[in-house]
Amino acid sequence: MIDFHLDRGSGVSTYLQLVQQVKQALRLGTLRPGDQLPTAREVVELLAINPNTVLKAYRELEREGLVVGRPGMGTFVERSIGGATLADHTRLRASLSAWVRQAREAGLADEDLHALFGAVVREVAA
Amino acid sequence: MIEVTGLRVRGRLRDCSLHVPAGRVAALVGPNGAGKTTLLHTVVGLITPDRGTVRATGDIAFVAQDKPLYDSFTVAETLTLGRRLNRRWDQRLATARLAELGIPLDRRVGRLSGGQQAQVALTLALARRPDQLVLDEPLANLDPLARHEVMRSLMSAVAETGMGVMISSHVVSDLVDTCDWLVVLNAGRVQVSGDIEDLLAGHRMMTGPPELTLTATVVGGSRTEREQSWLVRGAPVADPRWRTRAVGLDDLVMAYLRSPEAAALPRLTGVQA
Amino acid sequence: MIWLTCRQHRGQLLVMSGLLAALGVVFLVSWLEATAFVASHAGLGAGDLDAALAERYQAVYTLFGWLPIVAPALVGVFWGAPLLGREFERGTHQLVWTQGVSPRRWLAVKLSVLGGAVALGGLAMSAMVSAWRPLFRTDTFGNIGIFNMLGVEPVAWWVFAFMLGTAAGAVLRRTLPAMAVVVGVLAVMTFTLFSLSDHYATPARVVTTEAGVEQDARLVSRAWTDPAGAEIAVPPSGVCPRDPGLGRGERAQLAYERCLIEKGYRYVFYVHGPERFWRFQLIDAAILLAGAGALGWLTVRRVPRSG
Repeated sequence: MIDFHLDRGSGVSTYLQLVQQVKQALRLGTLRPGDQLPTAREVVELLAINPNTVLKAYRELEREGLVVGRPGMGTFVERSIGGATLADHTRLRASLSAWVRQAREAGLADEDLHALFGAVVREVAA
Repeated sequence: MIEVTGLRVRGRLRDCSLHVPAGRVAALVGPNGAGKTTLLHTVVGLITPDRGTVRATGDIAFVAQDKPLYDSFTVAETLTLGRRLNRRWDQRLATARLAELGIPLDRRVGRLSGGQQAQVALTLALARRPDQLVLDEPLANLDPLARHEVMRSLMSAVAETGMGVMISSHVVSDLVDTCDWLVVLNAGRVQVSGDIEDLLAGHRMMTGPPELTLTATVVGGSRTEREQSWLVRGAPVADPRWRTRAVGLDDLVMAYLRSPEAAALPRLTGVQA
Repeated sequence: MIWLTCRQHRGQLLVMSGLLAALGVVFLVSWLEATAFVASHAGLGAGDLDAALAERYQAVYTLFGWLPIVAPALVGVFWGAPLLGREFERGTHQLVWTQGVSPRRWLAVKLSVLGGAVALGGLAMSAMVSAWRPLFRTDTFGNIGIFNMLGVEPVAWWVFAFMLGTAAGAVLRRTLPAMAVVVGVLAVMTFTLFSLSDHYATPARVVTTEAGVEQDARLVSRAWTDPAGAEIAVPPSGVCPRDPGLGRGERAQLAYERCLIEKGYRYVFYVHGPERFWRFQLIDAAILLAGAGALGWLTVRRVPRSG
């Protein structure tokens, strides 16, 4: 199951935030193939947003082949994203946790931590 | 669908035309005194225009500004009013909604909080199962929690029934996540009418050094000694000395309101620079 | 719609019924009491009995004297003026006129139900006064106050006042100013109809040697005829002497006129006799109801055709 939330100050459009949150959940494995996404009505009840926005986000996910809408039943996850398997995720998560603990012991604040992580991701990508 | 053609109300509306497609949640924004209430009253038939026509598909329900209700009626009597005065009426929806909100049926309307009164007024409108719901400043005078609750109820009803909605407000930020159609009314004229995403995609903010000249349809902006910044309509300018960024709904509305002579109406599409 | 009308105005309906009932009790008690009083003073002459009753029921007479003015004013102020004035003031017209019932239909139901109740109230008042009056007063026509409480007068006045208040509320869109207008216009209207009623028919010309007119008739104007039979406004001075010993009071005037009669002069009275009761009632009612109709038209124009 996925719990949507909105960051109203982010400047990112609402529908894009929904798309990103579904993708994030697919990457982290909290949403798996076969899982049902909340109905537009449920999302609207939670966030007080225009239902067309939810439908638009779902259409976008459907276009990318990540979910599929079954008329009268709902929207279901078709496939997950990210190359890693769930086992890989668990392993990598454990080593990242160890790294975060080391960084904290070395006196890094959360902001330093984010900055360092971001810099390394960019470096390695380049 | 709501279609307004050549509407004139002496002293308040000048030749207003607009078209909101079916099932849209339209925001009617404009400064105080722009004629929003007059336009809505004309749409729901409270005002007979001097000239022009209003066409709307199906039943229209209206929630007026300040959510007027009969203070001496109990909530249950208020529902009876709705049931007796309307052919279509969903009593179960009404009582279920009020029960969910924890509003007692035997309480006098005058003794409810502002937020509760707003919910009763909204329930009265929703239980008619209208094809169109028109709301005049529904969030004014409500605390943030009540605003959220009202919007949540409204959007959930839209998700369920697919009805069209028109909401007026002078606070644009209230409507950012809920509306998908924008109508800007300024000094009795319709200045902007269109799909919000199309409008946002069709405008951008361009910032550049002061000596450059801009060849684009400028809505508004400012120039200082160090730089100039303009909100423009249409394709981005190729010149790399201009920095381009996307606009928000607030920027867009403010820019149009500051330039009353600018307009973004359907018939103008395609004539942009 | 009828449910809404009754629910919204049940307070007014109750108060009006209550006041009428209270008035009925006052009438009934005074009538029973006066019946006993008359029976126990059978020995008195008619004039003395009237005087005794008048003294004994001073308070009831006073109440009675004010009713023809106060009752329509109450109806106009508390029934008419708030009908639309209060809706506009509170903005509730925006609620009720945008439901499935069209505003004009809403108005039609309100005016018929409440107007009907007002008419019934007026009729009840008229019936009660008709039952109460004969013991106390023999006149029905000569006294404008009593005339206005009998027959169809209360109905016409009440309905007119109701429509006046409604129209004032519709035009001014506020209750309090509309109430003030009701009081002002009713005062003017009472006075106007009173003066106008002299012209409802050609007055009968009565030439007589008696100084008074027929019981229960309305005197329109008076004059004299000279011994040749020609009508004159005032007999020439010098025909009869004025006795300076008697001064200028009523007695001197009476003696002077008595002398004129002896010299062949006659009183001329232009009067409406009591047989014109219904004619005057119906003309008054026609004027008031036509006014109510015009005010109704004014009100309808202030209400949109469709909501």
